[in-house]
Amino acid sequence: MSVRMLDVRDLHVHFAMHGGVFQRKVAEVRAVDGISFGIERGETLGLVGESGCGKTTVGRALINVLTHSSPDVALSGEVNYIDKQGNETNLIHLSKHQMLKYRQHVQMIFQDPYSSLNQRMTVKQIVAEPLSIHKPEMKRAEVDDRVSWLLEKVGLQPEYSLRFPHEFSGGQRQRIGIARALATNPELIICDEPVSALDVSVQAQVINLMDDLRSEFGMSYLFIAHDLSVVYHISHRIAVMYLGNIVELGRADEVYFTPTHPYTRALISAVPEPDPAKTGRQRIVLTGDIPTPLSKPSGCGFRTRCPIARPDCATFTPQLELKKSGALAACPYVE
Amino acid sequence: MKAGKQAVTPGKKSQSLLSRRWQKFKSLKRGYYSFVILVIIYLLSFLLPVLVSNKALVVQYNGSKMFPAFADLVGLASYHGYEDFGLKSAGGEVNYRRLSQEFEKADNGNYVIMPLYPFSPQEDISVEGNEKFLPPLTPGTHTAARLLGTDDRGRDVFARMAYGLNVSLSFALLLAILEYCIGVPIGAISGYFGGKFDLILQRVVEIWFTLPVLFIIIIVVSLVSPNFFLLLGLLLLVSWISIALYIRAEFLRERTRDYVAAAVSIGVPTWKIIVRHILPNSLVPIITFFPFSIVSGITALVSLDYLGFGLPPGTPSWGEMFGLGVQYINQNKWWLVMSPMSAMFFTLSLTVFVGEAVREAFDPKTFSRLR
Repeated sequence: MSVRMLDVRDLHVHFAMHGGVFQRKVAEVRAVDGISFGIERGETLGLVGESGCGKTTVGRALINVLTHSSPDVALSGEVNYIDKQGNETNLIHLSKHQMLKYRQHVQMIFQDPYSSLNQRMTVKQIVAEPLSIHKPEMKRAEVDDRVSWLLEKVGLQPEYSLRFPHEFSGGQRQRIGIARALATNPELIICDEPVSALDVSVQAQVINLMDDLRSEFGMSYLFIAHDLSVVYHISHRIAVMYLGNIVELGRADEVYFTPTHPYTRALISAVPEPDPAKTGRQRIVLTGDIPTPLSKPSGCGFRTRCPIARPDCATFTPQLELKKSGALAACPYVE
Repeated sequence: MKAGKQAVTPGKKSQSLLSRRWQKFKSLKRGYYSFVILVIIYLLSFLLPVLVSNKALVVQYNGSKMFPAFADLVGLASYHGYEDFGLKSAGGEVNYRRLSQEFEKADNGNYVIMPLYPFSPQEDISVEGNEKFLPPLTPGTHTAARLLGTDDRGRDVFARMAYGLNVSLSFALLLAILEYCIGVPIGAISGYFGGKFDLILQRVVEIWFTLPVLFIIIIVVSLVSPNFFLLLGLLLLVSWISIALYIRAEFLRERTRDYVAAAVSIGVPTWKIIVRHILPNSLVPIITFFPFSIVSGITALVSLDYLGFGLPPGTPSWGEMFGLGVQYINQNKWWLVMSPMSAMFFTLSLTVFVGEAVREAFDPKTFSRLR
């Protein structure tokens, strides 16, 4: 444990907005605005935050899948991948060709199991595709065996391999997506809200499956979600994002039971409780909407909605600092 | 555990989306039968040299057999003069219909078997007397009845119509296929890469789109004599653009879908993402558009031929026949106009029925059928 495999430093992702007759750059969406975190081998890092705070963008930036769908994206910072020998590589500025080598180590599971599988391909073609790219030396029979084995691992019958995705339920499709991500024995899997499109009963199965697979194969997860109880259940550590920044980062129990940052407190207090009377927890209700990342507030991004905001919050950007609970939080006015 | 499993039972045969759509297309009877009829007619039209021709299928002469019509079909020399059959040379190729009568008269074991309909679209008519403007179903002086009469030069209208079908459909098919060959790659590249590249390419396409094709054709045709492939090329100049625009729009939408991101994250090469992932998912507008682009190809050729800027004179084409009919329309020569018009009407109707059924088969909504 405690061997770093991914080290993200000061990652920025900005999308340019164009307008006017000559399509000049008129504005910039700062979707991810300087975040830093690390992931250790065998660890699950949960990344939570409300819609539009940049969670998904972080995940996609880590494996360079932003440029194909939005050509005007600007990435800066470092995403250092550390292999088993301890060699560091910054993935952000690699060319497509250089990146190919690392793609088998970092894979992704997508949010929407209906659009993340190509409808025109059979399950076997879908699951075998990473193998054909990264293990071209594998023989046809070996690929078939591996696909059957993977399908079994994710709880699907290998007989399904000649079927098409539209014949499966949402949970089954997500299992196919997991099998595809597992195909190349990755060291890190980025899970972009893998269960939020699923039925609650199926959510639990998929989460348990993912946790079992992690303890069996020993890879790391970056688990992106907005459902705090799900994230707490599966994660070792949790990072809380707000408006493109990490506001709190710590062990799951630290963040979940003793939240420090005012935003995390509000977020945790919104988790539904089976019996609210028993816990006697105070519900913190934030007012106003999340500001648009087009024009972020100066200083601390949270100050427009923060219950303990002071006038000088507009003057500086708070940095993550160690708090009493043991977690890091980006607010100087809490302990 | 495994609650979602009931959704699929193993052992049942699995179907791809495309084969499901083909099943649905087959269930739309009007479109499916139109498709079958069109395919049969078009394939038969390649056999026209042995079905509709003034050349004999078999000639038995003094113990040896000849097959001039089949030689024609496969493109071999099939010329036989009168002297080859011991007759007085009348210049030019032998008229097998007359030869048949001669053999019958002589009654010495020689015989001629003619095709089903023994007339050609181009014939030397000087031999049998001048049979101009024969109305439909009236027999000529020496010959069997002509199904749809003859035109101002004594050429058989039915034969011309039949050969015209092959020319029209071949032209439209080739035009549509070439349109796709140019339009699909350009639209795909423009839509997939997007950004500045797309911006510039689209402006170029918009400018190119303003080319006045009809004027260009008129000018070119007045300079050089037109042929099948020149016309094809000229019409192709702008007709690929609409396909390219459709495909571009499809690619713009599809490239943001997660399965493309998944393919990128796996490291699938770009060309493979375009060809294997996005293209099969963008086929709906291409396939539904195809029958209609054939309709427009047929109409384009007919109108050019009608105006006299089309295929070289003498080629059996509906537009030229139509123009001829219009010239004689006030002299009660109704069959000259009616024949090419009804041929066109039937072909276009069948094609549109096919197009309708294809569109319906690709419609994701199950209950949207209009009957």
